[in-house]
Parts: sequence; C-alpha cells; structure tokens
Amino acid sequence: MSRAPSSRRVLLIALGALLIALVLGMEQLAPLFRALFPDQDPAMYERESFLNLTLAHLALVLVSSLISVSVGVAAGLFVTRPAGREFEPLVSTLAAIGQTFPPAAVLAIVVPVAGFGFVPTLVALVLYGLLPVVQNTVAGLGTVPSQTLEAARGNGMNAWQILWRIELPLAMRIIIAGVRVSVIINIGTATIGSTVGAKTLGTPIIAGLVGNNLPYVIQGAILVGLLAIVTDLAFERLEQRFSFGEGGNAS
Amino acid sequence: MIELQGLTKRYGETRVVDDISLTVEQGEFCVLIGPSGCGKSTTLKMINRLIAHSEGKILVGGEDITTLPPERLRRRIGYAIQSIGLFPHWRVADNIATVPKLLKWPSSRIAERVDELLALFQLDDEGLHDKYPHQLSGGQAQRVGVARALAADPDVLLMDEPFGAVDPLTRDTLQAELARVHRQTGKTIVFVTHDMDEALRLASRVALLNAGQLVQYDRPAELLVAPANDFVRDFIGRADLGLKLLSRRRVEEYCRPAQRTRNNAIASAPITWQVDANDRPMALLGGRLGESETARTVVNPEWTATPDMSMKEALSRMVWFRVTALPVLDGEGRLLGEVTMAGVMGHRP
Repeated sequence: MSRAPSSRRVLLIALGALLIALVLGMEQLAPLFRALFPDQDPAMYERESFLNLTLAHLALVLVSSLISVSVGVAAGLFVTRPAGREFEPLVSTLAAIGQTFPPAAVLAIVVPVAGFGFVPTLVALVLYGLLPVVQNTVAGLGTVPSQTLEAARGNGMNAWQILWRIELPLAMRIIIAGVRVSVIINIGTATIGSTVGAKTLGTPIIAGLVGNNLPYVIQGAILVGLLAIVTDLAFERLEQRFSFGEGGNAS
Repeated sequence: MIELQGLTKRYGETRVVDDISLTVEQGEFCVLIGPSGCGKSTTLKMINRLIAHSEGKILVGGEDITTLPPERLRRRIGYAIQSIGLFPHWRVADNIATVPKLLKWPSSRIAERVDELLALFQLDDEGLHDKYPHQLSGGQAQRVGVARALAADPDVLLMDEPFGAVDPLTRDTLQAELARVHRQTGKTIVFVTHDMDEALRLASRVALLNAGQLVQYDRPAELLVAPANDFVRDFIGRADLGLKLLSRRRVEEYCRPAQRTRNNAIASAPITWQVDANDRPMALLGGRLGESETARTVVNPEWTATPDMSMKEALSRMVWFRVTALPVLDGEGRLLGEVTMAGVMGHRP
C-alpha cells in the first residue's frame, strides 16, 4: 500500500503477463528444468497441458467463490435487516465453524457422499470461503453511519433504495476485501482437491509429491502462487474504485 | 401549514412528547427549543414520520400525514441534519439531486436545479460541483445539506440542529445565509436547536419545550418581554435578557437624523458629525466618553453601523470604542443618521 498506485498497476500488468506466458509456454522451459534437475526424468509435467489445468483450477475457484459470495453476502444482509437481526450470532458461528473445519476433513466427509472429483472439492471450498465474506459484509454494513441512514430515510428513500444506493456502495470496499480474502484462500486451497481427483493446478504438485518429482511440484506451485498474487493485485484495484475520492485514485 | 394537535409520543410508560398542540403558519420560521431530552427532536421527526407518533394528529398543508406513504411524504418535506448526513460516496451535485432523482425528474431539469441551488448558497464558483463531501469545509458541507433539503422545492423544511457541528464563526455566517434564503424563498421552516441565541436570531416564532410539554409558543420578542414562567426566564438567561432583546432589534429601528457640519465648528447639538463633500462622515465632534464636549474624533470604520446590523452589535461597538454614538452608513458610506447610547436606553420596544 505504500507504493504509488501507478507502480502497483505496472506490477499487476507485469505479473499478469508472466502468468499468461508461463501458462501457455511452460513447456518451453523444459531445457531449463532438465538442466536444473538432471536426475529427474521426465523433468516437465506433460500428462495434461498447463492451460487446461489452469482453466480447470479457475473454474473451480470461480464457481466456489460465486457460491460463497452469494450465500455469504445474502446471509450478511439478512442478519443486518430488522427481521434477521436475532440470527446474527447463529450465522456468525456457523460461518466460523465452516472455516475451522480443515478442507481435508471436509473432503474426507464429502467424498463418500458425493464421490470423487469436482463436487467434494467445491463443497470444501465453499464452506472454507464463507466466513470472510459473511464477516466483512456484516462489518461493512456496520460502518455506514447512522446519520447517513437517517438522512436517506428523511429524504424519502425506501428500504431497497437505501440498501442499493447507500448501504451497499458504502460497505462495498470492506465486502470486496472479504471476497478478496475468500478467493485468495480458495486459489490456494483448491490444489488439495487433486487428492480426490479434481483436476487443478494441484495435480502436478500432488503427482510430484507422490512420485518424488520436485520439478512437477515447482511447476504447479509457481502457477498457483502467481495466480494468487495477480488476483490479489486485481482485487486491490477493485477496492480502490470504492474509495470515493479518498486515497487519491478515484475512478 | 403545519398543525400539531395533541401530539404525544410514548415509549412504554414515559411520555417523551406530551400533548403538544401548535400551528406553524405558511412562511413562518418556527424554532423548537428546550433543554436536552425535552422532546424537540422527537417532535420534529414525527412531522416527517421518521418517528411514529402515539397519539394526536399532524396536518401538513391540511392533510393528515398518515394518509400518505412515508416515502412520498418525506419527498415533499425538506430534511436537513448535521453535515455528516451527506452521502459520503456521492459528489456534491448528486447529494443535492437526491430527492429530484427519487421523484424521477428529467436529468436536464435536475442539472438546472442543482446549479440554481449552488448559486443560491454561493457554492458555484469553487468547483464544488464534483467534490466529495469529505473534501468540503464544515460550512460548505452544511450548505450542501440545506441545499439538498431544498432541492425538490418543498413547501416545508425540517432542520434538526443543522449547525450544531460547525465552529461559531461559520455558524454565524450560516445563520445569516439561512435567514436570507428564508426571506428569498418564503419556505415554512421548523428548526430544532438548543442554542437560544440561534433561536432568537432566526425564529419568527419560538416553541419552548420542557419535559415533553410546550411551555410557551410565541414571537421571540414576546418570549423576552413576557416570559410565561420562571422556567422560560431561566432558559432565556435572566442575566443578559436586555442584550438578547437588542440582538433582535436592528439599527434602522433606532436610527435618528444626525447633526452635520462641513467644518470644525461645533454646532448646537452635543453630537455632531463632520462630513466631506460626498456626505461621508469624517469625524465625530463631542460624544466621546471622558473627553471634552468639543473633542474631535476621527471616524474609524470599525465603529460605524449599517441599518441591518443588530443593536446588540452596535451597542457592543460603542462600548468597545468608548463613543456614545455611531454613524449609520449606507452602502456607499454616506451618513444616513446616527444611533446613540441615549437612544438605546430611551427607545421603548
């Protein structure tokens, strides 16, 4: 945050380009890996293209995040309305339990029910990503000053208009921060889905760990890491859009 | 315009507003005042149904307010609170346009109205249109708040301690501006404050509340000269009643013809003004405390008065500069007349 916004933008573009280049052209680095790991054969993961793995990984994160965010924001909204206020402790507790469960344990429970692959991983990720979204939605809506709400009512806005025009925009920065945490966690956590057969960037990592093949681990990990960093930087820019003249980088 | 009939608000057993009946006529500036917890704010918020009343009736423009959906009612009544009530994520122009947008005015009409209001509040020449509330000074933010309340041209304006959070100097300017806007627009205003000086300065009628009950509803001058009981007297402040009364009076009411001369010669009157060829006062002959009757004092712009100045201020200047008379000047600095210490004492309101 200490760096100027423009340098963050350059960083985002540079790392984004590096990510795309590696996803599309990891195979070109085969000579490098062979030179670094002369004893490994093969030194390049080739059972599946990295493009396919990345797309599958992204699909998993995207779907799980969409569910976490819709359920989480809806729950956060519900418990901040007059009708749902008494459910706040319950919802917060449930969301917290969702996150204390280790994803591996969730997988162990869900696999016998839902089988291997995409679905159990999705369930684990949704549960895991829920808490930051719920928490930040409640916190974000809580930061809207009561005088602002009174002014909105006094000027003739109805409950929907107050929600859409006042509360959500003012809470958006904090809600997005929650989504950011949730998505970043899920990008990393999705890799363990490969232990139950989901196709992700964790697949080469697991294969490498099982087969004692360090280059595989590096190839998968470097892409997951880059993906997380680039996503994080992108969210940072998105948050700034809701700073409304503060921080000097208004849209 | 606004009629409260037996208005009561109960929270459980306690009656925070207890059987208040009063009428605010069209164009009136009604100030609700009283100690903290007297129910003034609650009374105000019941008028636009931010708080539901328990008993009694409120008529606005002859209509019972409960016959309208609350949102419709509120869009017809301007509402201004302390500056923090501005929407922090909306630019100044969007804040002002709040109610016109809710009423779905065409955008050209909204833009026109916003410019009109920015001009009315002298906010038009500082590029404020596109600023966010946190980029404004306290006084500017407060003006935007009042402009927003006036945006859809409501007949009635409710203001809940709107100047409570600004410094005294800014408050003074804002009060003068609100008085001007009230004169220009002829709106009916209900204004809540706990500051008696603010009430006396702005109000055409003051409703003094205590413990949920209406103690006295009167013109400010009546409140000062004929307080209903000891509570009123205490609340106004016994010690400076006279000064409060003078704060309600303007110099023009006390102004009387001045004795002029074009040279240094002392005329027959004890106080004489030496004027130049353009009738501008240059010096005061006599009328200086502790000096001889013939003493000549050069006129200092700091101890002159204008017709719309309050008598309290005029008196204060006399005391501070140790003169017993002030020249009253018109816009060009010409001598209109004089106000004197003896005149302050002799004038019967």
